[in-house]
Amino acid sequence: MLRSLLFYKRIHNNRLATMTIRLGTADLAKYPFLNEAAEYMHQTYFNLDDLNLPELGHIVERASNRIRSEIEHGKPDFTLERHEIEILTFLVGILIIKAINSDNLTKKHCLCEALRAEKFLVHDLKTHGEPSTRKLLLFKVFKELLKMDVLPSMKYQLMFEVKVTDYLKRSHLFHEQEWKLINRLVHDGRVFLDPDETVRLIRAEVTNLLLERIKQMNPSHIPATIRGQANILKASIPMASRKLANAPSAYPPCVNHALDLMAVGENLPHSARVMLATYMLAIGKNIEEIVSLFKNAPDYDERVSRYQVEHLAGERGSRVRYLVPSCTKLRNDGLCFATSQCDGLINPVQFGRAVKYYRETNLR
Amino acid sequence: MIPTKTGKDLQMMKAAFREFYFNHGNRIEEPVRIQNREFGLMGFDGVMKRHLKFSSLGRLVASLVLETPSDVFASNAQYDFPVLPISEKGWRGADLIFDIDLKDLDLKCRLSHSYMTCFSCRSCYFSGSEDRCPKCGSNNFAEVMLPCDRCINGLKSEVSKLHRFLASDIGISPEKITTYFSGNNGFHVHVLDESFNDLNSQARADLAAYIMGIGILADVIGVRRDTHNDFRVRFPLGGLDYGWRKRISDKLGISITSERKLTKLVKELGDIEQFRKRVADIAKEMGVRIDSQVTTDVHRVFRMPGTLNSKSGLTKTLCLDLDSFDPFEESCQLSSREVAVEIMPPRLKLRLKGERFSLSEEIVRVPIFIGVYLISKGLAHAV
Repeated sequence: MLRSLLFYKRIHNNRLATMTIRLGTADLAKYPFLNEAAEYMHQTYFNLDDLNLPELGHIVERASNRIRSEIEHGKPDFTLERHEIEILTFLVGILIIKAINSDNLTKKHCLCEALRAEKFLVHDLKTHGEPSTRKLLLFKVFKELLKMDVLPSMKYQLMFEVKVTDYLKRSHLFHEQEWKLINRLVHDGRVFLDPDETVRLIRAEVTNLLLERIKQMNPSHIPATIRGQANILKASIPMASRKLANAPSAYPPCVNHALDLMAVGENLPHSARVMLATYMLAIGKNIEEIVSLFKNAPDYDERVSRYQVEHLAGERGSRVRYLVPSCTKLRNDGLCFATSQCDGLINPVQFGRAVKYYRETNLR
Repeated sequence: MIPTKTGKDLQMMKAAFREFYFNHGNRIEEPVRIQNREFGLMGFDGVMKRHLKFSSLGRLVASLVLETPSDVFASNAQYDFPVLPISEKGWRGADLIFDIDLKDLDLKCRLSHSYMTCFSCRSCYFSGSEDRCPKCGSNNFAEVMLPCDRCINGLKSEVSKLHRFLASDIGISPEKITTYFSGNNGFHVHVLDESFNDLNSQARADLAAYIMGIGILADVIGVRRDTHNDFRVRFPLGGLDYGWRKRISDKLGISITSERKLTKLVKELGDIEQFRKRVADIAKEMGVRIDSQVTTDVHRVFRMPGTLNSKSGLTKTLCLDLDSFDPFEESCQLSSREVAVEIMPPRLKLRLKGERFSLSEEIVRVPIFIGVYLISKGLAHAV
């Protein structure tokens, strides 16, 4: 069907024959944020106004549906079409997101795109038959995009080697003990990881890279079809995710850190989630608002999250309302990121009061 | 904490330090990109001046001769604007540094060369011999330690262990690892590999925990909890050939083929919790006793190599050959002119600059390097 598209014709008639795509086009479909995908678009003489053409209506609709699904279910779309469709869907998606101009939705979309790529990348690293293809993929995604050296291990089949420094720069974002360097196979400045771990290591970075790209994007104008879709989607965003509960600066650093990780889709450990939920309950947030905070979690299930938050609020199970863990407990769990404003506190819930007191006493 | 020094004590120390910086300022090692470092000068009045900048080593030495600080520090970090407050400096990375201190080693010889000095009447005794001052009855004491050869050997063996970790596990080549005697009771190990410079505090904390053997899981060698609060053994992908996996498995006497032996071992210990505790204990014992706070601080100022340490009058000195390095010989660089001091402990023996000294509670004339060493420890006073 696409062969009839004006756009597609232009590709074939003009430049496609002369392009040197070192990665297969199937790979560009999976990783449309790669530099080569941008190069591909550049060489097709694609014009933003082409998106107003009825022939490309289904691409706009596809991108719009993908974003709607992200808003409603918080989960990425893993369907895979041909590269022409996927690259355009990706581009239209970020144009719609730019037009909606919502921080929360932008973060969510970037995370979903990262999760989508993560799934394909794990599969490719596990199954790509030719070592040279696998090396090329590693080079394109890790080296070219993220400036990180990842090599297939010569010692162990299906394992990858990452420099200790590259590993440390990324692993500290994870709270789980298994990500600590001591619990990894380390030798001669290299950390050995399986494909899942290798790809998991870069999730936050890919998310941030996409966020940065959207932030930097400055289109001359937004085509009418994109603006129309953006308006429809904007109306469907739940109120809860439009507003942020409080000014972030009012939160203690431990809570801010957990919120930051949650925003980029990190898998927070149970103890951090308990801290986050009990803190929000303590400062008077309602169940809805708290449940919506967890929407970015990779394992988010609204029913489970709601039950757990209600349990902590004393509305389920033992009917005991849980208190915010003490600073000592958080320190022991590796969840404390104290600043000088935390001096003298024994519980994060005192933070706001301490800041207020500090400001007042300094004014006297 | 060392008892307060008298005005004469400080005068003698300051004169000795000025003489040293005047004659031997060229022994101070210039840090890489000196113009991007923050400097800190500690005065003999105990006041620290931070956020200083020197564009060359010559200017720094001139300032040391003029001001004569008790201690000289330079930041491990490089900044765009070293003189501005910390939040506005513009951090451009920090050297990776490890500190091994005698107090963390808990050596048995410690009590045999520690002294208690009384804050009230300034009298001095062997540590542990009294619980209050026999002269004035005060219980306000400070413990002062004069490290012995066994202490230095204990420190050296810990430093060697750190070198092995850095080389075999972390992959830092030996020529990029520089070791300094701190000038008092420890060693500083500097890593000259710039790829570590942009690691933040949390990443450095993870590296420090690796080297110290903290936070290890039994999963590392394949013992995992299963759904019934029991355990199962399944060796990890990559085997037990390297790093902590090898250290723990060697200590437990297991290999990739001894699944049954490992299962038996866990059962013998009781349950998986007991096994985890055993693994954690082994790791802690085999880890290096570094001061993790020093490694994780990316805004710290460190004693500069080649400068004097006011806790001893010895210099922070580069160790070219750790095995043969003798801090009591090579780090003692003050002059030998004689000064009169009053020795406080009933008796003490020490070796400095190739000479052995046996001193007792009296006024004696000694070389200034001995005088400053004892005054800085609170074991003598200038007369």
